[in-house]
Amino acid sequence: MTHARTVEHAGPTVARMLLGAQLRRMRENAGITREEAGEVIRASGSKISRLELGRTGFKLRDVDDLLSLYGVHDDADRATSIALAQQANAPSWWRTYGDVVPTWFEPYLGMEQAARLIRCFDIQFVPSLLQTPDYARTVIRLALADAARTQVDPRLVLRMRRQEMLHRPDPPQLWAIIDESVLRRSIGGTEIMRGQIRHMIELCQLRHVTIQVLPFTAGGRPAGGGAVTLLRFAEENLPDVVYLEQLTSAVYLDKPAETLPYWKVFNSLAAEAQDPVTSIETMRARLNEL
Amino acid sequence: MTEPKIDSTISHSARIWNYWLGGKDNYPVDREMGDKILSYVPELVRSARADRYFLSRAVRYLVQEQGIRQFLDIGTGLPTVDNTHEVAQRIAPECRIVYVDNDPLVLVHARALLASSPEGACDYIDADLREPDQIVEKAAATLDFTKPIAIMMLGIMNFIVDADQAQTILGHILGAVPSGSYLSISHPTTEFDAEPAAVALEFWNSSGSAQMCLRSRAELLRFFEGTELVEPGVVSCPRWRPDLAEPGEIVDVMHFCGVARKP
Repeated sequence: MTHARTVEHAGPTVARMLLGAQLRRMRENAGITREEAGEVIRASGSKISRLELGRTGFKLRDVDDLLSLYGVHDDADRATSIALAQQANAPSWWRTYGDVVPTWFEPYLGMEQAARLIRCFDIQFVPSLLQTPDYARTVIRLALADAARTQVDPRLVLRMRRQEMLHRPDPPQLWAIIDESVLRRSIGGTEIMRGQIRHMIELCQLRHVTIQVLPFTAGGRPAGGGAVTLLRFAEENLPDVVYLEQLTSAVYLDKPAETLPYWKVFNSLAAEAQDPVTSIETMRARLNEL
Repeated sequence: MTEPKIDSTISHSARIWNYWLGGKDNYPVDREMGDKILSYVPELVRSARADRYFLSRAVRYLVQEQGIRQFLDIGTGLPTVDNTHEVAQRIAPECRIVYVDNDPLVLVHARALLASSPEGACDYIDADLREPDQIVEKAAATLDFTKPIAIMMLGIMNFIVDADQAQTILGHILGAVPSGSYLSISHPTTEFDAEPAAVALEFWNSSGSAQMCLRSRAELLRFFEGTELVEPGVVSCPRWRPDLAEPGEIVDVMHFCGVARKP
């Protein structure tokens, strides 16, 4: 089953999201409000809301109490939920990088590792998962203008570690659309740019990596103005998540009404961008120019 | 700004199909339309799945038992699990596959997500079944038309409502491939729950989506005239060479299918 495989790579995130979705269905079936559920576990309705979205970990005792409240008495059903809760609390590998992972970024890390399909649109930088160490170091330094040098290395290591999922046996599909300006903006100088573009051309050889270049001639496209990432999960009952990163925080959208416009934008961007084969030629041409 | 190439305001067969198959590549209009049709013919979900399983079994049969290495898949649809090239290349990585569709959303997804094995090849062409000569011309860039080709036409002939036109199209495409090539067709029929199916069809055709039709088994047999039908002939999808590894009671569905060899 794809389930177990995903959970294993994903760390606790998918387990959390699945358990959250399960608890929400049980609560709704039982006709119980979030506030009522909150009282039973000595918490607020919004805490229940966060639990059901898989944003936080679960106390086993809380899950146990909620199951009783929702009228789930079958031993096997309860055991499944408790097992998910245990997985949901397992430490994730990125905990090691705790110092450099802001709290608003942590959910993204988990979901990215758990996704079946990652679609991203970037207008300024090469997407993190496609960056070379040299390019990534330059971008991280740019973002950390005033900070200590010592913060650069752990961030770089974390970014490279994230990329490992592209080489695991059951990799996610990465479908990136990059604006032509990404190929033209010089990050770190000619040598670093040459290495970066060569790296992207090589990654396109992987069956699960697709890069499409949106040429300047395609005109403008509103995508909220900046970079967008959409994550899709294999699990049928997990919704797509749109991730919008800002300078000091991030926005996560997962209501279908909110994510659908982004999905539409991704589809029209993909239709307007060069097809994957032409995009490789464009990258080669840029390489020759540099 | 260019005109939007993908229309998300009208429901679309490929996206409705994706919804019935449990995919996530569909818009609310598609789900609404899909649910409406299911309210007449609830078994369509089972039929859609049976049609996909037929594709897998047919491709396996063609590659494994008949040694076919080239596929022309017309009416690709949105990528799902076990797409034609994946099934074929899993057995013989050197297989070459050309996907044909006229839906921009399908093409964009197919080009991005249906990547070939390094030993084989996949191409994706934008063409309409009503212009079979164009399909053959464009496919010739990837396929060798002097060697046998398996033509896959799943759930596509139902969009050619006129029977004469359908025969002419099949004639053109079969005429372009050599002896030893294969034709696979699946098609929604009037053989199953005919009355609700007719109501659903009328609803579909009045909704502004591409016109389609149901055909009887006898009409499907006519599509295969001049070819040698492979056993068990034209049957409900789950009855076509079922997997012995997946025992269980066979339940008939609305989609019928057949595979035939060009003599």
